[in-house]
Amino acid sequence: MIVGVLTLPRTLRPAGQAAARAFAALAMAAAATFSAGASAEDAARWLQRAAQAANSLNYAGTIVYQHNGHVETSRLVHVFDGGQEQEKLVSLDGPVREVIRSSAEVRSYFPDAKVIRIEPKTFRNVFPSLSAEQLRNLAQYYEARMVVSERVAGHWTQVMTFEPKDGLRYGHKFWADANTGLLLKARLVDDRGEVVEQFAFTDVTINEKVDRDMVKPSWAAAPPDWQVKQGSFGEMLPRETGWSVSKVPGGFQKIMEGYRTLRGKRDPVVHLVYSDGLVAISVFVEPLALPPVQTGLSQQAGLNVYTTKSEDYLVTVLGEAPPASIRQIAQSVARR
Amino acid sequence: MNEKISRLMDGEVDPQEFERICGEMKSPGALHTWVCYHVIGDSLRGTRGVSPGLTTRFCAALAVEPTVLAPHLAQSVQRGRTAQVATAAWAVAATVAAVTVVGWTAFSMVEAPPTAVAKAREAATVRAAQIKPDLPADYLIAHQEYSPSLPVQGAGPYLRAVAVTGNEPRP
Repeated sequence: MIVGVLTLPRTLRPAGQAAARAFAALAMAAAATFSAGASAEDAARWLQRAAQAANSLNYAGTIVYQHNGHVETSRLVHVFDGGQEQEKLVSLDGPVREVIRSSAEVRSYFPDAKVIRIEPKTFRNVFPSLSAEQLRNLAQYYEARMVVSERVAGHWTQVMTFEPKDGLRYGHKFWADANTGLLLKARLVDDRGEVVEQFAFTDVTINEKVDRDMVKPSWAAAPPDWQVKQGSFGEMLPRETGWSVSKVPGGFQKIMEGYRTLRGKRDPVVHLVYSDGLVAISVFVEPLALPPVQTGLSQQAGLNVYTTKSEDYLVTVLGEAPPASIRQIAQSVARR
Repeated sequence: MNEKISRLMDGEVDPQEFERICGEMKSPGALHTWVCYHVIGDSLRGTRGVSPGLTTRFCAALAVEPTVLAPHLAQSVQRGRTAQVATAAWAVAATVAAVTVVGWTAFSMVEAPPTAVAKAREAATVRAAQIKPDLPADYLIAHQEYSPSLPVQGAGPYLRAVAVTGNEPRP
């Protein structure tokens, strides 16, 4: 770009090096906005396709999940049969953990603790269709690129990158199977290009017949000496809460506001959700209780968490965004 | 019994049941579970260490003074259910934290496996460095419901949960 500026007639060239740099940046931004606009839409379309593929295909494979220098391996089998989904996820490292997910419920098996936990299925469709405004935001805050095809787990993939234009979000890279759209690999990177979190299939078969037995739990019925725990995880009750965030990082919009009744808490907890189209940041507010909770920043499996106090309330903010964004939100939570 | 203790710590029992469970808590096994749950929480928060044999000594002391526990608790129930619920509610916070140590962050709440106190403390020490504030597991699940970036659609949140377990020190 600098070269481009230097080829301009001397009379049109901006004076001074700083001005030249500013001019170059401006020119680059103009070009980027144009190409990113089209790309962001394409990339977003691929992500929606990927979300649909994850629901409606049969596949079985080994997933490696990396975060904070840890590597964990799991076996995943997904069946879509007669309009019904069923899925089995088994940890291959450490203690045996098994999750059976169906459209009705999620059962988690903890054989070492002899516990089965049953939760109603509350997970929404991820990568929902983005609104026109969200698409504009994506293009404004990320540089989206469709990259040349790469191979993952033996499959050719379409690669999409979302590079943040500010320091308030992580970069994303997605690898989707070129034929079916199924996401085979996804990576979150920080501003130094370090991997924050990565999921990847190391082997996967897609759209081959999967025997229904492969998604059955390893325990047909709960063994008599096991405990069966019904989850009491509260649904979201959407409504005005009187709480707001004054310094929302650019591009994030409030997508949900309401109350949740959580296990072990007497009062419903305020829950606000902000999203920039690729990630979400949750804000929880509840009355301060004893014992005092340690405040400050922490990290948990690819998520940053910031806990602080606002008047007599405890504010907890968490999301897949850099510590700076999480802190900024946490410190600007206030009652309207 | 472990299940009753769980519910007691969750503040899910009515005053009558509360009294009954407190009575049953006199058994060393139940006490061990109770103490174990709390040691994990204490240890995770780094509040204080617990010397080995606490349960045994506690039981011995309790055997000498068998009437101490229940009347006090019954009284506090009469004084105000609020106080009891508040205590029980934050006891569960400790337990949730404990399970991020021993069990599975996102899914177990109070069913810390009945591991030895020593093992729990060891695990807690390792994890405490990573999870500074006691992040309630429910927050994690509630958030993940809206988090679009979890790439492998349905399995994403669970993978994360599996991963948290994967860090546990092995016996």
